[in-house]
Amino acid sequence: MTVALVASLVGFLLASPFTALPVALFLLAAGVGWVRYQGLTARVLTFAMTIATVLILLLITVYITVESIPVIRYETTTVFGVPVPGLRLFTETRWDAVAEPIRYSMVPMIHGTVMVTTIATAVAAPLGVAAALFLSEIAPGAVREVVKPGVEILAGIPSIVYGFIGFTILSPWASEQFRTTGQGSYLFVGIVVGLMALPTVVSVAEDALSSVPESMKSGSLAMGTTDWQTMTSITIPAAFSGVSAAVLLGVGRAIGETMAATVMLRGVPQLTEPLYNVFYGQETLTSLIANNYGNAHGLQMDALFLAGVILFITVLAISIGSQYIEWRMHRKLGGEV
Amino acid sequence: MAGATRTPLVRADASRPEAVASLAMAIAVGLIAVGIASLFGLVPIDAAIGGVPTVTALGGLLVVLGAAVIGLGVGSALGYIETEPSPNAGLVATVGFAFVWFVLGGLTASLVLEGGLAWLPAGAVTGGAAFAMTAATREDIGSTLPAGAVAIVVGGTFLTGTIGPVWVWDLGFEQQASMTATFLVPAATIACGLLAGWAAATAYGGFGARGRRMGAYLLIYVNASAIIGVLFLLIAFTAVRGIPGLLTGATVGSGVGPTVSVLGVSVTLPVAVPFVMNGVSLLNDFQGVLPAIVGTVWLVVGAVVLAVPLGVGAAVFLTEYAERGRLTQAVEVATNGLWSTPSIVFGLFGFTFLVPRFGGNKSLLAGMVTLGFMLLPLVLITSREALLAVPDEYRDASAALGVSKWQTIRSVVVPAALPGVVTGTILGVGRIAGETAPILLTMTGGTFVSGDRAADVIGGFAFTSQPPFVTNPELLQATTALPFQLYALITAGVGLGDNVSNPVEFQWATAFVLLLVVLSFYAVGIGARYYFRRRLRHE
Repeated sequence: MTVALVASLVGFLLASPFTALPVALFLLAAGVGWVRYQGLTARVLTFAMTIATVLILLLITVYITVESIPVIRYETTTVFGVPVPGLRLFTETRWDAVAEPIRYSMVPMIHGTVMVTTIATAVAAPLGVAAALFLSEIAPGAVREVVKPGVEILAGIPSIVYGFIGFTILSPWASEQFRTTGQGSYLFVGIVVGLMALPTVVSVAEDALSSVPESMKSGSLAMGTTDWQTMTSITIPAAFSGVSAAVLLGVGRAIGETMAATVMLRGVPQLTEPLYNVFYGQETLTSLIANNYGNAHGLQMDALFLAGVILFITVLAISIGSQYIEWRMHRKLGGEV
Repeated sequence: MAGATRTPLVRADASRPEAVASLAMAIAVGLIAVGIASLFGLVPIDAAIGGVPTVTALGGLLVVLGAAVIGLGVGSALGYIETEPSPNAGLVATVGFAFVWFVLGGLTASLVLEGGLAWLPAGAVTGGAAFAMTAATREDIGSTLPAGAVAIVVGGTFLTGTIGPVWVWDLGFEQQASMTATFLVPAATIACGLLAGWAAATAYGGFGARGRRMGAYLLIYVNASAIIGVLFLLIAFTAVRGIPGLLTGATVGSGVGPTVSVLGVSVTLPVAVPFVMNGVSLLNDFQGVLPAIVGTVWLVVGAVVLAVPLGVGAAVFLTEYAERGRLTQAVEVATNGLWSTPSIVFGLFGFTFLVPRFGGNKSLLAGMVTLGFMLLPLVLITSREALLAVPDEYRDASAALGVSKWQTIRSVVVPAALPGVVTGTILGVGRIAGETAPILLTMTGGTFVSGDRAADVIGGFAFTSQPPFVTNPELLQATTALPFQLYALITAGVGLGDNVSNPVEFQWATAFVLLLVVLSFYAVGIGARYYFRRRLRHE
């Protein structure tokens, strides 16, 4: 059975039309096993499913990285006579896939992503942590039962709907308010994306705050402090690493947000003038992919994959970092990890 | 519980200052409300409120508010008001005030002195002064004076007409942008209202520990109600704009709807809503989005079929079979990594990995699998939590009866964890049903699809003698889905008018239908959670 499964996987990877054979064999073997040795079969099957999860992550990493290699090779620069692949991607600021010289610089998009993420974090972090504090410590039961699903629903509103409202209402309004030429500004994309990252911050921070042992809080309250003093001097310091992990995850969400940025930005890959001009919005790493996948070929397509790789690696690093922080917090609080 | 210590503040002979403080808080809340309303254009700032120009009225109220706040602080410092101030206003307030005054000083300097770096020292001077003021004085002065002064300064510029309704400040950027009064006046009013409101609330609580609690609670409650307000506004706005388009040509009456046959029994529906029952074609009276709805349904079904068994199976293995160690840790890291992977990266992956393997075209199947991969971590995480929440007594009791481990899992553990798994899955489905980015790269079809081209997956299966022996052209065709349809409608822009009589209405109606579909998943998920929780409590 295992052999059949591995064979079908290999077949699938090689895009062979004969993949169906090992799949059928695997299903047959699993069926026979299910009837005769149910316990063992279940164990093997669930194990295979576990491996599949890790495998998917590996496949994603490998496939998008492989696709991006040609453009890294193309953008090679020599530094002191030593060719460094991919360096020109970050030293020049020109993105032009049509006119010579053809360049695929990632700098404008990284700038855009940094701008949007910074503004989004400035919105989501304080509001999210305050809302988490409200939900876990302050709100009376009935209010909590209303606010909590509300925050969840906020997470559920599709990003394209946010983008649509931003595109039809917010962008024209902002363009008129700030007398800009054309529509699309990092400021408002950042605010909208911050709103979308808010639920992530709230739910993770709330988990962290409510995982502070009740005995610590009661001990403080017994000293005659107000509950606000207990929060600022006991609960928040104890849950600090968890709360910062929540903010980190929110940052990760903001970096990866695609559709709202795509429809609200201008879609012209260049830097804003001056760099801190938030009233103009050009392009982020995510919107670059969504805007250009349709007419991209060859190297340009590979450049889009490179944008994906940058996104993927950044977000993965943030995810692992926040998990490490959470793990340390659990250990510090003496609970079981 | 932290809230259990809440006691009413009973202090004798403090009614008049408290009245002043609550009046100040009321003014602050009112100013915030007016500021928000004028940001939305409900209160135009070049108009007048009760005969007084709006800007002047706002300025006057701000000055009154600032004076009241300072009065409270000074009254307390001179001993007219009985309070319990701390020795200073605290680190957060100090840094906050220093920052606000730094911005205020810097902005004023760069406006007056026109360019250069003069704003930096000017801001540093005012910010430093506010810092020293707040840090060096007792709390009753330190937390009211800087806040009140901000309100008075800003109110003064409004009152004297320094910033009038037609005021514009060209920022002088290479890409041109200006700060206009229509934005600055409401924004500054809201900021001053928040600051002075916080100071007034602190004074209302009598400063000290209680006062800070009051101030902080005010801000936190404002924040929570703002979040709920935004949510309500978003949904209500989409509904109001979307319902007219949705109900175009809708009729109610026996026999007007299309005929639906279920298990061979034909039923004629008593309602007809063309928007969700038609596709787009030249012959239709009313155009609709039926193919997109069908596409979304099939996407969700496909993703669930793939992800739920995988996710639940992996969760069972991790909680029941595996020892805690390297493997479980690696899987946890991988799952959380998958959870936070941007959706567009899943799209890229589907584009390079799945599309070539499913016939080389963008296809429904590729979209299903991509979304399934996105759903997988959500299902795994929630199932794992649900399985871990099953008490060990259940497992022990079952094992004591002498049944095997698998039988315990199958008939005790999994049924006990089922509510959590189901709820988590429904919420996850709500999330992926609205995803656009992954299907953009894996299964995009046309913008306007006629009704007869709605995907018919069940009817599409066929067996062939060629490997891979089972084919289903429907699965391998590109189709459309609601989120993609909305995206296509946005990017299509002007060209829409040829196909649809009222493009704007059509867009909003599509957005509303998408919102309805997604929120109904959430409603079911949240409802299921309440139901299961209540049943658990009864037992």
